Order: sequence, then C-alpha cells, then structure tokens
Amino acid sequence: MARDLAIDLGTANTLVYMKGRGIVLNEPSVIALNRQTGEVLATGREAWQMIGRTPGYIVAVRPLRGGAITDFEITERMIRLLLQRVGVSRFTRPKVVICVPSAITEVERRAVTDAARRAGAADANLIEQPMAAAIGADLPIDEPVGNMVIDIGGGTSETAVISLGGIVALEAVRVGSFDIDAAIQNYVRREHGIAIGERTAEEIKMAIGSADPTPQESQAEVRGRDLMTGLPKTVILTPEEIRYAIEDVVSSIVSSVIRCLAKAPPELSQDFLVRGMYLVGGGGLLRGLAQRIERETKVPVRMSNVPLEAVVLGAGHVIEHYDALKGMFMGARR
Amino acid sequence: MIWVIVVAVAVLALVTVVVARRNRSPQSSVDSFRRQIDALGPAARRTVVDQVQTAAGREPDPDVRQADERRAEPDDEDGPRGA
Ligand SMILES: Nc1ncnc2c1ncn2[C@@H]1O[C@H](COP(=O)(O)OP(=O)(O)OP(=O)(O)O)[C@@H](O)[C@H]1O
Ligand SMILES: [Mg+2]
Repeated sequence: MARDLAIDLGTANTLVYMKGRGIVLNEPSVIALNRQTGEVLATGREAWQMIGRTPGYIVAVRPLRGGAITDFEITERMIRLLLQRVGVSRFTRPKVVICVPSAITEVERRAVTDAARRAGAADANLIEQPMAAAIGADLPIDEPVGNMVIDIGGGTSETAVISLGGIVALEAVRVGSFDIDAAIQNYVRREHGIAIGERTAEEIKMAIGSADPTPQESQAEVRGRDLMTGLPKTVILTPEEIRYAIEDVVSSIVSSVIRCLAKAPPELSQDFLVRGMYLVGGGGLLRGLAQRIERETKVPVRMSNVPLEAVVLGAGHVIEHYDALKGMFMGARR
Repeated sequence: MIWVIVVAVAVLALVTVVVARRNRSPQSSVDSFRRQIDALGPAARRTVVDQVQTAAGREPDPDVRQADERRAEPDDEDGPRGA
C-alpha cells in the first residue's frame, strides 16, 4: 500500500511530501534530455548542474518555466520519474495532490492530472499554490479573517486573500524570480557587452540583488564572454545598477500585490493592517523586497519561516486530512 | 404492459433519489463545511506545524551549500564574487 503524496511542482523547485513522513524530495525542476533520441539523461540536481554547460546533443530544460506547461510530454515524463523515485509503481497506487499556479488553464490542469494518473496515481487532484502556501505558513485560514499570502516563485507571483478556507481575492501574474535573472542577463549584455548564463545571473541576484536599498551593500565581480572579442572578460557590478536592471520586474510584482489588496472586501482589508501579509516562495527572499512591498502598500509584510517549503507543507496537510479537505481541490468548489 | 411498469418503477426510483438528495444536502453540506473548517484549524494544523519546526531547524540544504561553496571558489569560471 503506497503512502499518499503531495507535490509542489514548482517552476524552479519540486518538492514531495509523503503522508506520515514529511518532505521526502526537494530538488530543482530540471530535466536533461538527449536531443536526438529524446531519452532522459538526468533529472533534478544533476540536470540543474548541466544547465548552460551541455554539448550540443544534450538539452537541460525547466519544462514548467514561465508557470505554464510548455511541453506536455516532458512534463508527463517528469511526473512519472518523480513518482518512480519516491517508490510509486503499478502495484502501489497512492492518492496524489499537486500544487499548481492558480492561473493554470483547463488544458494544463487536465494534462497534469492525466499525467499523474498515467504515472501510477490512484487519484490525482490539484490545489492552488497560494491556498497551500497559506496552510503551510500556518495562517488561521479557518477563521473569518483576512489572511493575505504572497507567493513569489521562479515563474509565477500569486497573491491571495483567504478567509474561512476559501480564496476571496486572487491576483496571479506569470512573472517571477526567473524574470529577474533574465533582466540581469539582458542588462549585463547591453550595458557591459558581456554574455552570462542564467545560473550566473541567478548567483548575481542572490549575491547583490535587491528591490530596495539595504544596509551593507557590496559589489560583485562577474565573468562572462565579451560579445565583441569572444574572450572571457570580468566586470564589476554595483547593487544600484542591479536594482535599476530589475526594476521593471520588481514593480510588476509589487503592482500585482496592490491589485489584490484593491480586490479585497473592505471588512477584510482592515485585518491586513493588523495581521500583515505573509511572504513565501524563493523569490520573496530577494533583499529589500518585503521592505519595498511594505513601503508601497503601507501594510506590514512578514516573512514565513519556511518560504521554500510552505506550499508543499500546506499540500501535505491536505493529504493528511484528505476526506475533510477534498472540497478544496480545484474544480471541487461548491 | 411490462414496459409501463418498468418505466413507472424507474421514474419512482429517480424521484426518490432526487428527493432524498434534496432533503439530505443541507445537513450534509453543513457537516462537510464544519469538517473542512475543523481540518484547517489550529489543532489539525499541528502536524504541519511540527513539520515546519523541523524544516526551520533543518540542516542547510545541500543545494544552498553548493551555491555558497561555488561562490567562494576563487577560480570559478563565470560566477560573481564580492569585490
Ligand atoms: N536568497 C534568495 N534571493 C533571491 N532569490 C532567491 C533566493 N533564494 C531563492 N531565490 C529564487 O527563488 C526562486 C525559486 O523559488 P521557489 O522554489 O519558491 O519557486 P517555485 O515554487 O519552483 O516556482 P513557482 O512557484 O513560480 O512555480 C528561484 O528563481 C531562485 O533564484
Ligand atoms: Mg512555488
């Protein structure tokens, strides 16, 4: 008898929670394929290390990038491998709950559940990321109060107001921390004339990136390929110029939070001032982002103590209380 | 003749099911809503809270450590370094 599973199929990271056990898998959502034969060569951390460093016949991709399922076949293979790795076989058929972006289309929804069923799940259901995040962040969503959660991931940013176990207001954009990496890549190419890979851009973001000025800022030395000469070249980047480079992405994330606040009923708006909003997701770890949201909305922002795990822990809670909570699945709303 | 009886029985069964559902649904919807709210309450959330505490006091993630080590490597090909 297989143990039921909760999966956070994130655009950047995949986490699996096993009923009664906790988190059993946590790795990048990357798959490496042989371009000619289509065979899977590696997944997870191993595949992540190959990004931008593969010979022509290998391609290492993030199939869920952009918060959309761009390649159904690869996504299905990823889900299949994932389930195999946590011990699902044809004979052990667990129930599976998968967290997906709330903006997912009907076609994508069906693709994910069908893929999970074909990969051996006895039943597959979906739950919106912000709902799972609110449960995982331990917010009192059973009460008639306004709980606001902001989940900034790699490919999506979702803000939701939740009360009495249901979503009251929602704002989701397909913009996330990957877009910050891309903005850094473009900026360095344009202003410094060097090409850098996406992993380097991510490292720059983590090392010196910020959404608002913060104390103790430092510069970073970056190496890439000179676009003119083709030779390796080093440049120094300052925190101010990275802030400038990523401003458009940051402001579109902040605007979506503001739009969600504007959608909330006034009775619940009062609650935010007292209770604050909760920030989860890896993208929320960007320096100065909480401060920036707070400055622009005048609402206190609190950081979850498990930003990267909140979503899968919330879905794990649903798996632990499956019968009572099955009304929360996408498409099961009364 | 037999068809008339079969149809009558089928209609009767259908009506019974519909009526039973209609009568039962308010109570069962109240029950299932209560169960859902209870399952989201602080007592039920305890398992997750325990998980959260274990996760918060966890060992550093191998991925994070790798990234840190990589950043510290002096002869990295293309990584950024504090200057
Ligand atoms: N300290 C940090 N500073 C800035 N960004 C960070 C930090 N740590 C992680 N990130 C970014 O967070 C993103 C991953 O976050 P997360 O794991 O929440 O995404 P995800 O859940 O896979 O994506 P999504 O929810 O959009 O599907 C990556 O883009 C990563 O670069
Ligand atoms: Mg996520």
